[in-house]
Amino acid sequence: MKLTAMTAALALMAGAAWAEEKTLDIGVSDALTGGGAVYGLPQTNAVKLAAKEINASGGIKVGDDVYMLNVIAYDDKANPTEASNAVRKLIDRDGVKYILGFCCSGATGAVASFIEFEDAVMLVGNAAERSITTREIPNLTRTRPPADYTGAAAGTFVAEKGHKRVAVLGALDVGFYASYVDAFEKELEKAGGEIVSREAFGLKDRDMSPQLTKIRGQEPDAILVVGYVEPAAFIYRQAVELGIDVPRYGFTSGSEEQFTRVATSEQMEGVWDLRPTELTLLSASENGKAYHANYTEEFGIAPSPSSPYSYDQTYALKDAIEAAGTVEDTEAVAAALRDIAVPDEVVMQYLPVDEKMFDQNGQAYTSNGAFQWQSGNWVFVQDLPSDAAAYSAFLSTLDD
Amino acid sequence: MVEVLQQIINGIAIGGVYVLIALGLTTVFGILGIAHFAHGSVSMFGGYLTFFFVTSWGFPLLLAILIALLVGLMLGVLIELLAYRPVRDANHINAFIVALGLTMMVEGINLELFGHEQVVIPTDFSRVFNFGGVTIPELRLYVILAAALLIAAMTVFVERTKTGQAIRAVAENRDAAILMGVNVKTIPLVVFAISTALGVCAGVMVGSLFAIAPGIGEGLVVKGFAVLILGGLGSIPGAVVGGLVLGITEALAAGFISSAYKDVIAFVVMISVLLFRPQGLMGKA
Repeated sequence: MKLTAMTAALALMAGAAWAEEKTLDIGVSDALTGGGAVYGLPQTNAVKLAAKEINASGGIKVGDDVYMLNVIAYDDKANPTEASNAVRKLIDRDGVKYILGFCCSGATGAVASFIEFEDAVMLVGNAAERSITTREIPNLTRTRPPADYTGAAAGTFVAEKGHKRVAVLGALDVGFYASYVDAFEKELEKAGGEIVSREAFGLKDRDMSPQLTKIRGQEPDAILVVGYVEPAAFIYRQAVELGIDVPRYGFTSGSEEQFTRVATSEQMEGVWDLRPTELTLLSASENGKAYHANYTEEFGIAPSPSSPYSYDQTYALKDAIEAAGTVEDTEAVAAALRDIAVPDEVVMQYLPVDEKMFDQNGQAYTSNGAFQWQSGNWVFVQDLPSDAAAYSAFLSTLDD
Repeated sequence: MVEVLQQIINGIAIGGVYVLIALGLTTVFGILGIAHFAHGSVSMFGGYLTFFFVTSWGFPLLLAILIALLVGLMLGVLIELLAYRPVRDANHINAFIVALGLTMMVEGINLELFGHEQVVIPTDFSRVFNFGGVTIPELRLYVILAAALLIAAMTVFVERTKTGQAIRAVAENRDAAILMGVNVKTIPLVVFAISTALGVCAGVMVGSLFAIAPGIGEGLVVKGFAVLILGGLGSIPGAVVGGLVLGITEALAAGFISSAYKDVIAFVVMISVLLFRPQGLMGKA
C-alpha cells in the first residue's frame, strides 16, 4: 500500500516536472538610441509584444515541452561595431540562439558578415540593403523586401502620374536609399522621364533649405525624398516654406506622430509615401488593427509603420521552431524558416513565393503601396506593381 | 540672382546660430583660456528646458525662454564654481579634461531627463514672407532678428558697461586688472553666466528652427570652435563675421557646388582663409 502511494506521488511529481515551463531566451539587437531609434525602438517593442502574446497563448510547443519567451534586448545604436558587440554578447554571454530586430542596414550588414559561422539564427527586420540576402546565408532571413524592389515600383507609379523631370533629395550615402533611387530612375527613364538633380543630406542634417533652393531653381515636375523620417519631415516642411508646390513623393515609412513632431499636417498635405505596404491604421487588416491597439495600450504610443517586421519575425520563429521540433538545433530551425507558410498572426501583407513566406535567399516580400497624407493621416491609395517571384529569381542571380 | 539671395538668407539664419554659439565660446576662451567643450550640450539643455516648459507645463514660448535663460545664467555660475574654478591654477590639461568630462555629464543628464527622441520646440510662427521671389519663413526672420539683437546687446555690454570693461581688462592683462582693483574672482562667474545664457538662446533657436536631439550639441560646438578660429580667438566681432561666413559658405556650397560635401567645402574655405590670415579674420597678429 505504501509502495503504491509512493509510486503515485512520484508519478504526480514527475507529471508536475513535465508540465513545468521552460524559458527560451531570444535576443534583440536594434537601435534603441540615436538616429535609427525611430525604427529600432518600435521594432524592439514589437518583439516584446509578440513574445507576450505568444506566452499568453501557451508558449511555443516543442514535443512535450512548452517554451515561454524571454526577450533580451541590446542597443546597437545602428552602428556596425555596436551591433557586432551586441550580438557577440547575446551569443557568448547570454547563450542566445535566436536574434531578432535589426532595423538599419549598416549594423545589420556587419552582423550578417559573421552570423553564418555561429550556432544562431538571425531574423532581420526593417534593414533594406539588398546585399543582406544576396549571399543566401542559410541561418538568416529577412521580413522586409530590399529597397530596389520597392524603388522600381515607385518609379513606375511616378512615371504613370506623368512626371518627366524629378528632383531627388536623399540620404544618398546610405546604400539602400541609393539603390531605391537607382531602381526608381531606371523605371522613370523607361517612360521617358529623367532625374534632373540628385541632392544629398546627412542623417543628422536638419536644414535642407540650401538643397531645396537649388531644386526650386531647376523647376522639376516633382521631388522624391528618400531618407529617415526626421530629416524627411524637415524637407517637407522647408519645401513648403520655400514655396515649392510640385508633388512631393517619398520613401520614409514614418508614422503620423513622427511627422507631426516636425511639420504641421497642412505642410504635409498631399505628400506621397511609396513604400512596402506597411501598417497604417486606415488600411490595416484585422491583425493590423489588433496589433495597433495592443501596441498602443502596451507602450502608450502608436506603433511606427515598419515595426511589424519584427513582430512578424517572432511569429515566423515560433512556427519554425514548432515545425523543426527543436530549440537546440539551429540548423533545423533555420531550414524550417525557409519552409514555413506565412503565419496566421502576421501584420504585414506578404506575397509568398512558392507558397512559402521566405524564398531560397531567406527573403520575404510584401506588396508595395502608394500612401498619401490626407487631413492628418497616411491613407492607402493603391497597390504598386510588385512581382515577388520575378524579383526573387533576380535576387538569386546576385551573389555580392 | 534670386537663388543667390535665397542661399544667402538661408546661410544667415544658420550663421546666426553659429555666431551665438561662438560668442559664448569666445568669451570663455578669450578671457579664461578654457576650451569649454560642454557649451554645445549646455545649449541643448536650454533648448530641452524650453521645450519642456512649453509642452509639459503649457507656458507661453517667451516665458519659457525667459525661465530657461535664468536657469542658464545660474547653470553657468555653477559650472564655473564647481567644475572650472578648482582647476583654475592647475595645468591647462586639467581644465581640458574637466571640459571633456563635463560634456559627457551634461549629455548624460540631457538623455536621462529628456530621453533620446528628437524634439522640436513648437511655435506659432508659420507664415512665409516673399520679397521678389526670395522667401523668408517667419520663424527664420525672428531668429535672424533675435541673433542680431543679442549680438548688439553683447557688444554694448562689453564695450559700454563697467563690468564689460572689467572683463576686457582681465582678458588683456589679468595682473594689471588686479592692480586696477578689478575683482578677478567675480569676472569668471559673469563670463560663464553670459556664455551659458547665449548658449541657451542658441539652443532655443536650433530647437525651434530644426530639432534638439542627443549628439546635436557636439556638432554645434565643433562648428562653434571653427568659427572661433576663423574669426580670431577671443574676438567678438570675429565670432560674428566668422559665424556668418561659415553659414553662408555652407549654403552657397550646398546650392552651387555639392550638397554632399557642403561641410568639407566650408572647412576648405576656412583653412584657405587661415593660410593667409593665421590669426583669423578679425584676430590680432
